[in-house]
Amino acid sequence: MPSAVPKRRFAALPSGKAGFALLQLLLAGFTLLSIGIAVSLGQVDVPLGQSFQILAHRLFGLTIGDSADILSGPNANIIWTIRFPRVLLALLVGAGLSLCGTIMQASVQNPLADPYILGISSGASLGATFSIMIGFGAGGVLGQLGLAFWAFAGAIGASVLVLALSGIGSRMTSAKLVLSGMVIHALCTAFANSIIYFANNTEGIRTVTFWTMGSLAAAKWDRLPLVAAAVLLAALFFLLQSRILNTMLLGEEAAVTLGVNLNRHRRFYLIATALLTGVLVSSCGMIGFVGLIIPHMVRAAVGSDHRRLLPLSIWAGGLFLIWTDIIARTAIPKVELPIGIITALIGAPLFMYMLIKKGYEFGGK
Amino acid sequence: MQLDVNDVSVTLARADIVKSVSLRVEDGRFVGLIGPNGCGKSTLLKSIYKVVQPSAGSVVLGGADVLRASPKTVARMMGVVGQFNELSFDFTVREMVMMGRTPHKKLLDADSAEDERLVEEALLTVGMLPMAGRSFLSLSGGEKQRVVLARALAQQPRFLVLDEPTNHLDIKYQLQILSLVKSLGIGVLAALHDLELAAAYCDHLYLVKQGRIYAEGPPRSVLTREIISEVFEVDCQIYENPVTGGLGIAYLESGPSAAAEAAAARAGS
Repeated sequence: MPSAVPKRRFAALPSGKAGFALLQLLLAGFTLLSIGIAVSLGQVDVPLGQSFQILAHRLFGLTIGDSADILSGPNANIIWTIRFPRVLLALLVGAGLSLCGTIMQASVQNPLADPYILGISSGASLGATFSIMIGFGAGGVLGQLGLAFWAFAGAIGASVLVLALSGIGSRMTSAKLVLSGMVIHALCTAFANSIIYFANNTEGIRTVTFWTMGSLAAAKWDRLPLVAAAVLLAALFFLLQSRILNTMLLGEEAAVTLGVNLNRHRRFYLIATALLTGVLVSSCGMIGFVGLIIPHMVRAAVGSDHRRLLPLSIWAGGLFLIWTDIIARTAIPKVELPIGIITALIGAPLFMYMLIKKGYEFGGK
Repeated sequence: MQLDVNDVSVTLARADIVKSVSLRVEDGRFVGLIGPNGCGKSTLLKSIYKVVQPSAGSVVLGGADVLRASPKTVARMMGVVGQFNELSFDFTVREMVMMGRTPHKKLLDADSAEDERLVEEALLTVGMLPMAGRSFLSLSGGEKQRVVLARALAQQPRFLVLDEPTNHLDIKYQLQILSLVKSLGIGVLAALHDLELAAAYCDHLYLVKQGRIYAEGPPRSVLTREIISEVFEVDCQIYENPVTGGLGIAYLESGPSAAAEAAAARAGS
């Protein structure tokens, strides 16, 4: 056997199962730290140590040191009822969007797929706006479910239209896929905006800004369970599908010869991602590009094998959105930027780079 | 494993591509499928490995009905080396070959030491072990083809279907791949381009013309001057290669009339 066997493409990354477990552990630690930092920053800055004391007490009933003052002070309330649910929502939504992107990219075998770029988010947003107009979204679990259902209906409609437009049967080029997404995005946004515009009484309707640029400001404890359930179930399900997702990337024919019937799986995956997109959009509006950027960067680091790509994308997506939300809240004092602006500012240049890069055959074949 | 194809017809976009083809590959035999471009040999192979649904006929492999069985059941018996190696995503060579283990895996199974061993063995066999860590997309066409063959070998197939497996390959690897496949001792059905190579390696040939079997039999009975001229529209001389003792084909570049025209053109200028 030859002596110099190149082990991995990226020698700096830990290889093997132990290394991967270590990486996950590091990520989990970093996530905890990020949550701590995120709840500490805002209009009122809370010392990091205090934040952890408050969280430890509320979550696990632990009292660390002499903290009676802190626990009964105003900071405890800010952190527990306002900031912590918001940070959790960021974590869940980021993880969910990144998961959606990864799955959609495998399903259509195109690295440019993402719920936002393909107009799926706009479809969900249209559905949600529509449901608010007809009276859902008034609050409560039923209202939230109704909202999520309509958002899902919109997302499914948009998925079907985009895939039909770009031709799921024939070879789907990047150009056709992205253009179809653009068309659907424009159409859905126009409808949604006109609904908002004509239903001028702002009572039940959150603003255009919320739906088109996304916001985590609406985060409340009672809205979290649905999002958490959707993201965790989807994550669990897709983590079990890694092998099938891998063969998906090889294309239709190769997958069949490896014993995987792609059509059935693909249809089911697209329904599942539309469902997840619906839940995410109905809870925080359209936050673009997360599903594009994160899988792309993780893939560059660990390759396309979904057994590594998927868990890392989920972590990284959650972390990414926590930090983007920190930027959105603190970049300009006393002003909260819509989070979608920040993700677009980071994501759009990367999208440009992906389009220009030759390897993606944009407009080719 | 024995493969029986019975009266298979394939219609694509209302055109009859394969017309009632029957063939048999006995266990351990290397059978070649030859014919001009567009004669339907690729489509016939696709209907055997379940990518194209035939409009009529049956395919039986080792007693199992291939057309009715699940893709997974078939993939445990049959390995395929096709011509579909374009990817938008990159994998390492090792990951690529490991995917050959997919049909033998349940949802939650991790890669076992046995899987690792089979992958290494397959890579060693095709001479790609030193490149195991390389990115698949950075490989040359020939290297990619060898990796795909390694993936099929990692499937531990008892039957192999090859669609022009030596396309893009240097002669060294053409010979290497064909002798390697032959040495496996399992049933092989291969569409081949090069008639001399087909004659050298195949036990039996099926010659396809316009979707039908035009001739079949041992290479020497199929590859005759008359049949080649009729099917491939090229004049040739068949001879015994004095070095290898195998069948040789000397193609006579252009027909007599074309040669005469060329001579006339030269004389005129």
